[in-house]
Amino acid sequence: MFARRRFAVLKNLLEYVGIEPGRLHFSWISSAEAEKFQKTVAAVTEDVKALGPAQHMIKDIRKVA
Amino acid sequence: MSENAEFSPRIAAFLCNWCSYGAADLAGVSRLQYPPNIQVIRIPCTGRMSPKFILAAFRKGVDGVWVSG
Amino acid sequence: MEAIAQKIREAAKRLLSEGKVDVVIGYAKGTVPMREYPYFAYTPEEAENLTWSSFCCNNLALYTIRRPGRMAVVAQGCVSRNLVNLINENQFKRDDLYVIGVNSPGMVDRRKVQALFPGKTITEVIEEPEHLLVKGQGFEERLERKKVFRSNCLTCVQRNPVISDEMIGEVGPEGHGGNIDKVAAPWEKLVPAERWTEMQETLKDCIRCYACRDACPLCYCHVCFVDEAQPQWCGKTQDEADVATFHILRAFHCAGRCTDCGACESACPQGIKMRRLTSKIEKDIRALYGYRPGMEIGAQPPMSLFKPNDPQDFIK
Repeated sequence: MFARRRFAVLKNLLEYVGIEPGRLHFSWISSAEAEKFQKTVAAVTEDVKALGPAQHMIKDIRKVA
Repeated sequence: MSENAEFSPRIAAFLCNWCSYGAADLAGVSRLQYPPNIQVIRIPCTGRMSPKFILAAFRKGVDGVWVSG
Repeated sequence: MEAIAQKIREAAKRLLSEGKVDVVIGYAKGTVPMREYPYFAYTPEEAENLTWSSFCCNNLALYTIRRPGRMAVVAQGCVSRNLVNLINENQFKRDDLYVIGVNSPGMVDRRKVQALFPGKTITEVIEEPEHLLVKGQGFEERLERKKVFRSNCLTCVQRNPVISDEMIGEVGPEGHGGNIDKVAAPWEKLVPAERWTEMQETLKDCIRCYACRDACPLCYCHVCFVDEAQPQWCGKTQDEADVATFHILRAFHCAGRCTDCGACESACPQGIKMRRLTSKIEKDIRALYGYRPGMEIGAQPPMSLFKPNDPQDFIK
């Protein structure tokens, strides 16, 4: 519940600075909802796949050093 | 991975011990198939989840982050 | 201005000689023009050094944190809001605080003034009610104060102190006519890739000196997340990922607490506009939870509170 407020603000902020909305997902699944879990995993994977590899925010030591 | 192979994302999945982790367990027991791209990190509760974790995951090079309560 | 400074000095002297407070926290004149700095007056004699001008950019609420004894603080609107914040966060008791309230005239950005005189040295700035008389070797010019305001003072909503034990001067009008929602608006129109480029452009000069953190009255953690080494959340390089992590998390830690006092931007040696991040959060908190930080004592901070009907359309 506190986390909900926290992530509402965080998601807005990350989208504001340019992280694509599809990279960050939140969901609410009870321990009895195995099927919802399965569907959500598929949906999340699909969304991220559509966006392609992440470009930003990555700390690549090989590139920096 | 060759250039032509289909892109297979890496997704950090932060799952609450009491909700989604249980759901993942049940999905396994029920033999439901789901994509193997998620890498599960168990957290004691979604309240434990901190924005730091999300940014740290992105820093380590994941393509997506999924938080589930 | 000078009349108000005189009244502040009188009030400070009275408080110190009566023994009501141990220290009066105010501003003193800098050794160079336009660089007023925080000043701690412990004796009535020291109170003579206090001043009040258009360049009082530091947020004095910062210096009340972890300070023993009773203190008096010279507070304009934003400083008083931060004091209320700190009281709500149980950093000290209201009884230990004496607020010398002043209506803020709107502070002036010294960079904007300097930018008008490229390559020249300003030796003196004289305050007039609506203008600044800027003097240097071989030039003298009268500037309109509103044209050289700090950007956060233009969008100010609370110029009068929220709490005050004593008001110096008159209670003045509120606002300077700017709209804080517009600070974040230009980025919101862009697509994600452009936003990222814009942010890199904004942050590219960051040297990770943490002056913004040190000037911020919200950042009073004993160990800041950037100083944590195990695990290390944020690297210490000027790499784009590290700089972005620092600024995103710093802004996020101010969620529901930032009063838009502009101390971070004034303190930044590189002139980075980090208000672009904090004002977005300020706007979101206002839109989602209808909360403005530091407006009343006893208000619950929005991030340590929840309601069953909070917006949750981002959750699947």
